[in-house]
Amino acid sequence: MRRVLGRVLLLGALAGVALALRRYLEREEGGEEVAEITFDDGSARVLAAGSAEGRELSEVARKLVELGL
Amino acid sequence: MTENPESREGRDLERVLADLRALSPDIRSCAVLTREGRLLGSSHPEGVDRERARAMLEALVGLVDEVARENGKERALQARVRTELGHVLLVRLEGGAVLAATTGLDARVGLALYDMRNARSEVERAAKEAA
Repeated sequence: MRRVLGRVLLLGALAGVALALRRYLEREEGGEEVAEITFDDGSARVLAAGSAEGRELSEVARKLVELGL
Repeated sequence: MTENPESREGRDLERVLADLRALSPDIRSCAVLTREGRLLGSSHPEGVDRERARAMLEALVGLVDEVARENGKERALQARVRTELGHVLLVRLEGGAVLAATTGLDARVGLALYDMRNARSEVERAAKEAA
């Protein structure tokens, strides 16, 4: 009985680690830098690919790169 | 035969932009979007593609300025946007116009932006004459 309980606990721990790793990797992917904007006061803002603003900017920019100026 | 001054001024901007492309070979294409939304110095002839490029650039500049306002700033001075095909670089000119450029994916973006900032005064002068 104790052996079965130990295995269940081990499997639970492994599943937890796998879930945490997946979330970490997804966060990293969403955090990929897609745009950097510098403002008139010298400060800057970096937008991640996972953000709504970042996606929108990247989509318009992609069409522009494709077409050229 | 008298030369049309307007076309001469337009050619001056084209020369300045051609010089910028020669100086910074990572820049594939570049043009100026005036504050009024006119596209100057584009490599596209008048037509659908030029209008599409103008509309998309205007939309991009609008989005960038929206981010600036959301962050409590008056406007953006410079922007670089990465896509899976390459980059779009924006440098604000005097009077609200924007110098825009596209590059490939492996471009040295920092260097291209540096060249764009260095060319700014000459582009401003030529764009003002062409507008």
